[in-house]
Amino acid sequence: MRQPDGIALTGVSKTFTGRGKVVEALREVTLACPPGSFTSIIGPSGCGKSTVMRIALGLETADAGEVRVAGQRSLEAARQGITGVAFQDAALLPWRSVRRNVEVPLEVLGRTPRAEAAQVQAMIDLVGLKGYENSLPGELSGGMRQRVAIARALVTHPQVLFMDEPFGALDQILRRQMNVELQRIWADTGSTALLVTHGIDEAVFLSDRVVVMHANPGRIAGVIDVPFDRPRQPPLFSDPAFHKVCDRVAEALHGN
Amino acid sequence: MATDAIRRHAVWQSTGLRNALILLALWEIIGQLGLVAGGALPPPSDILIRLWQDRGDYPNHIGATLYASVMGFLIGNAVAIAAGVAFALSPALLRLFRGINIAAFALPPIAIAPILALTMSGMAPRITLAALGVYFVTMTATVIGLSQADSRAEDVVRAYGGSRWTVLRLVQFRGAVPSILAGLRIAAPNAVLGAILAEFGGGGRWGLGTYLLGSLGRGEPDRLWGIGLIATLIAGLSYAGFALLSRRLLGATKAVTLNTAVPTGGTASTCLSARVRMALATVLLPFALWWALIKLSGAPAMIAKTPGDVFEYLFLSQGAAAAQARLLAALAETLPITFIGMAAGLAFAFLLAILSRLMPRFIEAFMPVALITQTMPLVALTPLLVLILGRGPSLTLWITISVTFFPAFVTLAQGIALVPKSAEDLPRAYGASRWTEMRMVTIPASLPYLFAATRLTVPRALLGVMIAEWLATGRGLGNLLNQSRGYLDYGMIWSVAAVSVILSVVFYQLVVVAERQVLARLGMATPE
Repeated sequence: MRQPDGIALTGVSKTFTGRGKVVEALREVTLACPPGSFTSIIGPSGCGKSTVMRIALGLETADAGEVRVAGQRSLEAARQGITGVAFQDAALLPWRSVRRNVEVPLEVLGRTPRAEAAQVQAMIDLVGLKGYENSLPGELSGGMRQRVAIARALVTHPQVLFMDEPFGALDQILRRQMNVELQRIWADTGSTALLVTHGIDEAVFLSDRVVVMHANPGRIAGVIDVPFDRPRQPPLFSDPAFHKVCDRVAEALHGN
Repeated sequence: MATDAIRRHAVWQSTGLRNALILLALWEIIGQLGLVAGGALPPPSDILIRLWQDRGDYPNHIGATLYASVMGFLIGNAVAIAAGVAFALSPALLRLFRGINIAAFALPPIAIAPILALTMSGMAPRITLAALGVYFVTMTATVIGLSQADSRAEDVVRAYGGSRWTVLRLVQFRGAVPSILAGLRIAAPNAVLGAILAEFGGGGRWGLGTYLLGSLGRGEPDRLWGIGLIATLIAGLSYAGFALLSRRLLGATKAVTLNTAVPTGGTASTCLSARVRMALATVLLPFALWWALIKLSGAPAMIAKTPGDVFEYLFLSQGAAAAQARLLAALAETLPITFIGMAAGLAFAFLLAILSRLMPRFIEAFMPVALITQTMPLVALTPLLVLILGRGPSLTLWITISVTFFPAFVTLAQGIALVPKSAEDLPRAYGASRWTEMRMVTIPASLPYLFAATRLTVPRALLGVMIAEWLATGRGLGNLLNQSRGYLDYGMIWSVAAVSVILSVVFYQLVVVAERQVLARLGMATPE
């Protein structure tokens, strides 16, 4: 039997009503991410790319269409600990230390954080926050907070990893470092990843496929395959072939 | 930075101490010379001497008041927090209980104290009134705290399949702690006030209220001041205790960034008939509860009036026209001064809350003095103010301002303290002055709290006016209540209580409507 797609959206539509106006956030979005693949969604602000992710996560319900995560309904997948998530804002609990923030998904899933202390520590080490385990979010820089959010997303060994602009607050140098790191981590876990981003080079570097979205109404305008071998190394960022793919994404973004 | 904080603390203590000493010295001189109202303000030394002479009386009085306050505080808060959690979980329940909640808060304790004393026995009336004084404040603080939790953090928990209860446990409850503590801080002096008010209207041998009432007619300013100071000390210490607790607990847990997510809740039902039914239920539930309590208490029908009895008294009975005329005349005297006092109290609180951000040093020096005057239980304060200000309208005004100022200031200061660092750093980065920063960030961000403060002060203002009228000025609703007590006119007692509660609820509702409009336009959440 074929393994179900990591993420499968079929004909998903969504409208919002706010302040008396009806906004068509998504129209007929169909997207399938094969198991173990890395997909990026890129598009202008307000094109509904975050809404795609929120619907896939079960935080919003679609007006029409079908959503499956690892072959199951979103919230069922979530309750089994299949998904991991990092939001564009770190969304840490300000009163919890770094370690206790990373433990949040374990607590929600009803697992015992103490039994998985080694995994929690490993994730903190992985994102380079060794020595900050007991710091509060208010004492950390923006980049460090975002790395806590990444550690938190990975702590459950997710089969499907959702990331909504996880590096949006980081500087370019750190961002590239984190991209390389993320690729390594993702390759280790073998998870299906969906990344929502504004960064063209980030999307191209990390992904097997880049999905380009347009706004009003939010829809998929094109899908660009990225052929480079893995693991991809930092020199790829300056490769002319890499820039060619980036240019194709930019063209798709601008509607050519 | 730590040493800086310690030094500032030392400065605060030394200037606070210096100001207090200067004030005391002035007071002593004025008192010795008998400058205020022919000796109505005795010098501190006389008050202390009198306190010493009366030392045998105090332990029993203080014990009785403390017992009722503490019991009322515990019971009231337990109910309030449980109710707050239930309301946060179910907006429908909150809407259904809105009428009861506001009525419970707006109930003038002074009006029901004699009724409670007749229908209950022992300490029960005092504990009930103390608990009533606590309930609304803590319940509101709990709901505000829970509903203003970081929605992104809620998303994280929900994304892992967390239930409503998990979100509450992991995100909302801990996030609500600052708000709940601020509520408890206001609630603590309220419990003392409630207990004393019940003693005042309810008889019994011990209690500071009883002592005060017994000493009121004897024209002994030094003893009245002594009782007032002791009551203030109890209320002030309870306030300070919770202030200290919240400072201990809330060191580095301020939200790191401003939550800009647009709130979704609000309209649960778009169906008109469902909305009408809900509105009807909200209005009828308090009356049903009133009726049920009367029937359950088994109190004699002559004393305990049901809603139907009050309606009959005001509209159907023989003396209905006369009763209506007296009630309307009283309202015409009470309402204008209530509004003026409330507006002044709110304006003062808002100004001071903003100043506390602009000029922390000034406020630090002013705060101890303000706290002392403001934690003073209203009933203890009123006789003293009568001695100084006489029995005219200015007395009513000052009492109203002081009774509205305190809760409004605490609510606003709390709201302003919650404004995130990053939001204020932004205008500062563009070289904005402290004032521009206030105007652009702090004031708009504290707008939900200004509305919350207004809602909180509406019923209190009416209560303050009524107490002043009862005890001192001999006008308006408060006086009507006191007179009716004297004539054993229970129909009028219940009518005044019902009318004042209904008025409070209506004014409250008006504020809520204005709040919804403004906050919805600004994309802010409406804290219930």
